[in-house]
Amino acid sequence: MRHLLRLFLILLLAFVVDGQSVYSQESDPVTSTADSVATEPVTPPPASAFGLAGEDMPNDNGHKLRVKWQYPAEAVGDITGFEIWRATSPTGEFRMLGQAPNDYFEYLDIGNKETPAPDFMANNSDFFYKVVAIGKNGLRTESEPGGPFRTYGQWFHRGKTPVLVGVVLFGCFTFYFIRAAKKGKELYVRPLAGIEAVDEAIGRATEMGKPTLYILGIGTASEIATIASFAILGRVAKKIAEYQTQLIVPCYDAIVMSIAQDVVRSSYLQAGRPDQYSDDMVYFVTNAQFAYVAGVNGIMMRQRPATNFYLGYFAAESLILAETGNSIGAIQIAGTDQITQIPFFVVACDYTLIGEELYAASAYLGRDPLLLGSLKAEDWGKGIVMALIVVGVVATIFGWDGFRELIRVNL
Amino acid sequence: MTTKRLTGHIVLGVVLLVCTLSIVVKGLLVTVGALLTLFIFSFLYKDNPYYKFAEHLFVGVSAAYWMCMGFWGTMVPNLFGKLYPPMVGSVIPALKDNPPEPFMVIPLFLGVLLLLRLSSKAGWISRWALAFIVGTTAGLNLVRYLRSDFIAQISSTMIPLYASGAAGFNLGETISNSVIFLGVMSGLIYFFFSKEHKGVFGTGARTGIIVLMVTFGASFGYTVMARISLLVGRMQFLFDDWLGLIR
Amino acid sequence: MKRRVPLIIVFCVSLFMVIQYFVPLDSLERVYRSFLDYTIIIGVFALLLGIWSLCRVNYDKIKRKSENWQYAIITLTGFFIMTIAGFLSGWGRTDNYLYQHLFSYVLVPIQATMFSLLAFFIASAAFRAFRARSLLATLLLISGLVIMIRFVPLGFLSEPISDLAGWILRVPNMAAKRAIIIGVGLGAVATAFKIMLGIERAYLGRD
Repeated sequence: MRHLLRLFLILLLAFVVDGQSVYSQESDPVTSTADSVATEPVTPPPASAFGLAGEDMPNDNGHKLRVKWQYPAEAVGDITGFEIWRATSPTGEFRMLGQAPNDYFEYLDIGNKETPAPDFMANNSDFFYKVVAIGKNGLRTESEPGGPFRTYGQWFHRGKTPVLVGVVLFGCFTFYFIRAAKKGKELYVRPLAGIEAVDEAIGRATEMGKPTLYILGIGTASEIATIASFAILGRVAKKIAEYQTQLIVPCYDAIVMSIAQDVVRSSYLQAGRPDQYSDDMVYFVTNAQFAYVAGVNGIMMRQRPATNFYLGYFAAESLILAETGNSIGAIQIAGTDQITQIPFFVVACDYTLIGEELYAASAYLGRDPLLLGSLKAEDWGKGIVMALIVVGVVATIFGWDGFRELIRVNL
Repeated sequence: MTTKRLTGHIVLGVVLLVCTLSIVVKGLLVTVGALLTLFIFSFLYKDNPYYKFAEHLFVGVSAAYWMCMGFWGTMVPNLFGKLYPPMVGSVIPALKDNPPEPFMVIPLFLGVLLLLRLSSKAGWISRWALAFIVGTTAGLNLVRYLRSDFIAQISSTMIPLYASGAAGFNLGETISNSVIFLGVMSGLIYFFFSKEHKGVFGTGARTGIIVLMVTFGASFGYTVMARISLLVGRMQFLFDDWLGLIR
Repeated sequence: MKRRVPLIIVFCVSLFMVIQYFVPLDSLERVYRSFLDYTIIIGVFALLLGIWSLCRVNYDKIKRKSENWQYAIITLTGFFIMTIAGFLSGWGRTDNYLYQHLFSYVLVPIQATMFSLLAFFIASAAFRAFRARSLLATLLLISGLVIMIRFVPLGFLSEPISDLAGWILRVPNMAAKRAIIIGVGLGAVATAFKIMLGIERAYLGRD
């Protein structure tokens, strides 16, 4: 009986020991290799990280935490790096987030914003972290859990303050000068050759009895250049309606076509010739870049417009269009805010509106005091930019880099 | 006139012969691609029926292609797939079990409003949809331009005019920095609308346009090689893929 | 109603887009992303208007027998064949022989060839610049030439030309681009403001 009892105890003990090792391998991978130390007593496990601290990262909706830790300087050489683990409670299930090199003692935990995601980080919630030191010998030592560290959401992105200041300042200028213009203050604008040539170009088409071609570019209605071009199209269409000549507006984008139809229709209405408008003037070609170019080239070669306008957003097709227009001897007025395409227009067209001049063109053509007022605001904006640059340059000469930091946008 | 016509017939004969041989040796498809390539190149000589054919075919096929892309690539997964997920289960199984998103009725509604343009009486209501797009654009661009283009460029121009390195005063760097500074300032002066280009301001503006022209020249020169390589690509298609003359 | 509602929509939507940029709330970001999705979907609806316009213009050409009307038949035929091909494989699939081959042997070669025409046009444009007789055109030409020949072996001249080309790209080129970008930035912001406040309303038409 005693033998039987002894046998039973031995079996029980063996079972418990075996079960423990299985448990440690499966449920706690962090310490798994530490158990094998007993078989390899040559090198000890690495020192543990300590002093875990966490701080909420600003300018978000509470989905980021920065975790910092300390590590004994003399032991840094023994490890290859760290693993960072996160849980929602000190005893909860920890989830590995990422790794850091051995000389780096902080980790930016950017959690997922969506709930079903496994690495979701909720706003106004507590999180706990563990840092695991990974020894060069393959052994790992985990730190004590640190926390709770709380995430906080913000209502304003402080890194974007310079943009806000810019918007408010520029908004104030625009308001001020528009008010001044409304009160009847005379605002001078210097002549722009490209704009002054518009009348002459349409007049030429009228004299020759040929149509005017207006290209809005290959931008969508989401491009500011396209929107600026609508305003110019309105003025140009009105003049064409008055001169009773033909207008062709082949479009690349269907929304642009819809808006352009409205713009031209109302220009004809304003000019007192609504009956002369037809949707056939403003039509859709295709929204494939080079198929559109092929189509417009065909229009140029067969309808022989006397005047071509290329105003809006352009890409590589700019030169094909402008050179074909040149070959048929049309007067060409171009304008785009795409820096890479301006040179081609400069070479192949008679007049080119460079960058900002495209946006200003509608104010020039309409002579509307409200729109001219906004040009004055833009000039003030440029003046302030120049002043800022001068101050910045002087500051850097004297080694004060803080000034440049003042206007930096941190996203 | 007769010589011209004869030359024309000879050219046509040669092309037909090459095409027949090509169809036999290379197959119909490559021959079609090569012929369409030649049709487009013929535009460089003058507008002609071959170019007109390729151009009109290109316009029709490309419009249909983008329409199909818009329908299968945008409308189906982003609208139908969100309004009624089982509808796209056979195409995108991952979306099948997602909950429906009732808010997607908004773009459907705006899209239908836009289609009302085709009605002469209710056409004006389509502007609501256009206003939504223009409003999104305006708001987005108001901050986008200030953020990415504007402020970054200002701070990059804040460079020391007097440059010195480990070896002391650096003349080359000083000149370059000064040219950047003066270039930006004079360029900005050129774009002033409410000041007459006279006196000191006029000198600034003239300097500005000089710098702009140098830049446009540089940009032009920079693009030449890239454009020539496109032509080389097409020539390779004709002489290698089609005729097999380059090996 | 016809004018005011669109202006109110523009103001509210654009104001929201500005506010969400500064306020880092998830809910606003979700709405922002939805708005962007909506614009893309509306764009596809608009494409139907475009297709309607394309078909009508070409149909009218054929009906009126206007000049080159025969080619309108080619456009419409190409369009309908590609459309049928796009829907031939059933719901959500375009992997049929006709669609794939029209893409590879019609669309791709024509597109690539149109693009490659640029090589000829850039040459003719450069030739025109050669003949220009003004100071500004000469400057443009010289700077373009320096950049073009920077990799050409020209003996003892190669190094200085390559240095000069590098300097032009790094210094005056950058300066002018910055001036343009700053100007464009201001102009774009001003235009966006004008649209938001309803000062610039050409896009709405005037009736």
